[in-house]
Amino acid sequence: MGNLRQPVYLEEKLKQVRESGRLDIRSKALPTWCPGCGYFSIVDGVAMAINKLQISQKDVTIVSGIGCASRFPFFLDTYGFHTLHGRTLPVATGIKVANDRLTVLAVGGDGDAFAIGGAHIPHAARRNVDITYLVFDNGIYGLTKGQTSPTSVLGFTTSTSPYKNQDQPLNPLLMMLSYGTSWVGQSYAGDPRHLSEMITQAMAHRGFSYLHILSPCVTFDKTSRTYINLKAQVRWLPDDHDSSDKMAAMKYAMDTDNPPIGLFYKESRPTLADNLDLVIESARGRGARATV
Amino acid sequence: MGSTQHYVIIGNGVAGNEAAFHLRQRDPESRITIITAGRLLFYSRYELPRLFHENCDWRDFLVHPVEYYVDNRINVRRNSFVTHVDADRKKLMLAHKEEIHYSQLLVASGGASYLPAELDEFAPLLNGFNLYSSACKVRDILPQKGKVVMLGGDVLGLDLARNLVSDGYQVVLVTTEQTFWPHRVESDERALFIGALRDMGVEVIEGVKIERIEQGAPGMSARHIQFDNGREIFADVVMPFLGLLPAADFMMGSGVDFERGLLVSTNLRTTDQNIWAAGDVCQIWSPEENQYRFYYGWKNVKKMGEIAAKNMTGEDIHWETATDQKLFIDKNRQLISPYWEHD
Amino acid sequence: MKETDIQLMFCGSAGDGTIAVGDIFKRAMAKAGYKVIAFDIYPPEIRGFGKCISRVRVTSRQAYSLKQESDLLVSLNDSYAIPHVPEVRDFGSVIYDNAPITSMAEGEHISGHLLPGQLPYGLRIREISDQTTGGSKSKNIVALGYLAGLLGIKQEPFHQIIGDKFRHKGSAISESNLLAFDTAYAEGASTFRLDFIELGAPERQEIGSKVQMMTGNAAVVRGCLDAGLDCFFGYPITPATSIMERLATELPRRGGRLLQTEDEISAIAATIGAGYAGVRAATATSGPGLALMVEMLGLGVIGEVPAVIFCSQRGGPSTGMPTKTEQSDLHLAVYGGAGDAQRIVLAPTNVEGAYRCAGKAFEMAEKYQTPVIVLLDLYLSNRYETVLLPRQNPFEADSVKHRSNVERGVPYKRFAFTDDSVSPRTIPGEEGGIHVITGLEHNELGRPNDQSDMHTRMSEKRHKKLLAALDHPGITIHKRFGDQGRVDVGILGWGSTVGEILEAMLMAQAEGISCSVMKVVMLSPLPNEPIRSFFDDCAEVLIPELNYEGQFANLVASAVSKPFTRLNRVPGVPMQVADILEQIRRLAGRAKSSNAA
Repeated sequence: MGNLRQPVYLEEKLKQVRESGRLDIRSKALPTWCPGCGYFSIVDGVAMAINKLQISQKDVTIVSGIGCASRFPFFLDTYGFHTLHGRTLPVATGIKVANDRLTVLAVGGDGDAFAIGGAHIPHAARRNVDITYLVFDNGIYGLTKGQTSPTSVLGFTTSTSPYKNQDQPLNPLLMMLSYGTSWVGQSYAGDPRHLSEMITQAMAHRGFSYLHILSPCVTFDKTSRTYINLKAQVRWLPDDHDSSDKMAAMKYAMDTDNPPIGLFYKESRPTLADNLDLVIESARGRGARATV
Repeated sequence: MGSTQHYVIIGNGVAGNEAAFHLRQRDPESRITIITAGRLLFYSRYELPRLFHENCDWRDFLVHPVEYYVDNRINVRRNSFVTHVDADRKKLMLAHKEEIHYSQLLVASGGASYLPAELDEFAPLLNGFNLYSSACKVRDILPQKGKVVMLGGDVLGLDLARNLVSDGYQVVLVTTEQTFWPHRVESDERALFIGALRDMGVEVIEGVKIERIEQGAPGMSARHIQFDNGREIFADVVMPFLGLLPAADFMMGSGVDFERGLLVSTNLRTTDQNIWAAGDVCQIWSPEENQYRFYYGWKNVKKMGEIAAKNMTGEDIHWETATDQKLFIDKNRQLISPYWEHD
Repeated sequence: MKETDIQLMFCGSAGDGTIAVGDIFKRAMAKAGYKVIAFDIYPPEIRGFGKCISRVRVTSRQAYSLKQESDLLVSLNDSYAIPHVPEVRDFGSVIYDNAPITSMAEGEHISGHLLPGQLPYGLRIREISDQTTGGSKSKNIVALGYLAGLLGIKQEPFHQIIGDKFRHKGSAISESNLLAFDTAYAEGASTFRLDFIELGAPERQEIGSKVQMMTGNAAVVRGCLDAGLDCFFGYPITPATSIMERLATELPRRGGRLLQTEDEISAIAATIGAGYAGVRAATATSGPGLALMVEMLGLGVIGEVPAVIFCSQRGGPSTGMPTKTEQSDLHLAVYGGAGDAQRIVLAPTNVEGAYRCAGKAFEMAEKYQTPVIVLLDLYLSNRYETVLLPRQNPFEADSVKHRSNVERGVPYKRFAFTDDSVSPRTIPGEEGGIHVITGLEHNELGRPNDQSDMHTRMSEKRHKKLLAALDHPGITIHKRFGDQGRVDVGILGWGSTVGEILEAMLMAQAEGISCSVMKVVMLSPLPNEPIRSFFDDCAEVLIPELNYEGQFANLVASAVSKPFTRLNRVPGVPMQVADILEQIRRLAGRAKSSNAA
């Protein structure tokens, strides 16, 4: 991954995309996000990944919840389902159970994922639903104009924590690792090239892949998770990190001062669809003998 | 009277029910329980011959409607069998192992049909008539104009006999020493009464003993009877009517004095101060005759129930020795027993 | 031919095999060709020895409901059965063990509690079980054998059912239970009968259909399978769980997929997701679960996504009475959720209806692109009925799943306005039909749009398209029973209570009261016109239902301007036929006197 270490810029990325004729994956709709929002690079990252993985747009479904990230499906020319706050994973699971041939992405912010939607994550993870879950973590509720989120840092001042946030932030990566997620990675919006590469890897993974994307809210967070701060904080995961070593992955996940980016953990195990196929097989095997 | 009294009556016949009625009148707050082996409420056995000429069932024979028991709070515990009575603890035990406490106990369990030992082996081929169920069985197996052989012929049997004859059945009476029981028939009257029976249409066979009773061959009459004199007859039903024996085995071991029946003084109290007896099960002291003796018939039994109930609730009424009621032939030349009288 | 109509009640603890023996009885009777309706009551306790009651009504023609009074009670546990003795009619019978192993205090034996008009049948139940099987576990089979012998019911169907029931436990157990049955049967057959409980010959089967005995929930499962259910998502909740349990076995055999989700929200979300992806999907729940689901249901409404939700109601609010029946989730089903979110709500009135509604719900969901709620209740979910299932699958298992109308090079108008207000539809994977579905108000393309005229038109579209469901083929939306034309009393009913209502109507008719029943199966959209014309025909209208607020009556009040009488009861058990009858009598009297005036 050494080639990812040069800085990349959004303009340059867009130029690359335009030149490669892949802009048609983007829809005609103009994003509603604030100028400079980290989410732009995520849309591009997904577009590039779809292109790179040679997936037909009609076979992609993007499921979102509520929050700034929820508008995501409108900005790509694929099937999309803008659902309810916190419910991306169960809807995505339903789509995947109905039709395993579809490439399904679930996208959401830190509130959608870890506040209201927190109960669904362990189950998507343990079932190893073959979807890619992109969480855009800006540590704040942006759509409702700046309230604390489950990943807001201690002492963060927002409209609902005027006397500073007292609640310990969650550690999403540690959670995802402990839930048995079969692919866990982290990237940040300030490095579009790395981001695109990580999204591609996550989508290529067969099983439940979780990519945590650190992303600034340029409008409501002027102090905490800014581009400058993030750039100073993030570190590359060491080259010698063994992505099959969950204990090591957990150790890196605990470094919240200098969040490492890269692939934390990866394992290969049967997906939900595989298991449901097995159920059908054994039911049909037994069915011959059983009486109704 | 105290509302905590629990009057328990063993027996669901005329005496027991008459007692229950008077107990309720005299002690409205008390608990009254009648215990009976049968499944039915008190019904009139005298009415059972109606089964032969009427489309009726047990509901038509009930002496009181169902509501009577509800209104009077008389709990009739049917299909229950008393195994023994513990007079010291004032408790009785039912066969299903339930213990019942009583304040006052009235034993009015009546009599059971007597069957001499020599007829025991033929019991499965004999039909009784003392219960609704046994009466129904006779009705069901007796063909139209069918033949009934009656052994003995006590007053219950003779009552049935006259009903059967008038319904067009054939009745053969095989006399024994129990014929006319419980009437004591003087030898000079006997021929007269037998004659009256014959006039009634009953075939009477005298002076024989049963040698064998057999199941009839298929297609033949159901019963085949051989006498000691070599004579044999066929019948559809054979019914013993040989009198009653007091039915109070469960009183064994209770400490209460017992001869053939439960011994009671003229106030119908047994030798235990909380246990009383009435009806066919008891022998009442007769100061005049200086002996304990039985009294039969609906009227007597009913009176006993009333006296027992009143004495159980504080009265001091005494049974008066009465002379035996006689069998007689009325002006229509019909044989009549006063014991056939009932309400 | 003699009509058969008897009702038996088995009462004991969970450990006595009470439900099991009721089950054998009703299966045997159904096998013998009788019509059966049966309802079991279980204890709310998870394990142990709580009270169980199994009631079985056997008739020559299918009955609408159970009777208030039973003809015969079998006690397998006296302390549980004693409170139910008054439910046995006069001259009815009670069968009990008269040789229990331990002695007891006065009043502990059921024989002391029989009412004067009832007939006691004590039997050495435990002893016979011991003698024939070497243990007391088969007391229930002994009691069953005795009653079968007593009532003179043929042994063969019992032998078959008992054989089936114990087959998996090995031949020794199967044979000893058959011996227990036969021994007790002989006792029963030789017992002199005093009761007047008579069975006529069963009726002959109708041609072209198959008679089966099943519960409402089992009928739902059959309906789902016959309608070609592809995916099921569920979360356990009484009394809907048995739908999921049965499907867990059955669905994969047909290549379908079932997932037990982490909660009801996830269950409905996945159902909506699968519906969006173009397959037939369903979930099943009860009131508390439906309460969690209504937000997602609203997404299905605005996103015009097909989904089927079975909701078996129980006593509420909140956790309420999980093992008791009630009809109090009607408001939730019809109105629950944010905004104007009209959906289709069907409420079958009997087991056969549960089958029909289940299957038709999928057709409707697809055809009208909407969530469909099938509202059952604990009583209907758990009661058994013999039902006539058509030999031919009555459901369009492969109906027009979507009309795509794809045009090349043009953005796909997933929510296009059309004559029937139903838009073309593509599903993910389909070329040229790419679109995004959103819970935001949107334009024809599905793009967020909160302009007032767009919201008005879209709201109208979503409501109008459902009206066609009132004429959906192959399903009873409403039906009138009893006297036709003008009547003194009309009874309007919904859901399982219609059974009791029909029984009450028959009794009222027998008393010479002119009356008529209208059952309403589709509760949303409500068939307003037929309800109005029913009101026009009735001098008085009664609406009995098992909820406190009169939830259906409230719906009706919004459709008709005429007055009517409510009969609201929340006993947790089915409504009493006598209760309804009393109201009918009262209203008939009022109708008469106002006629006279």
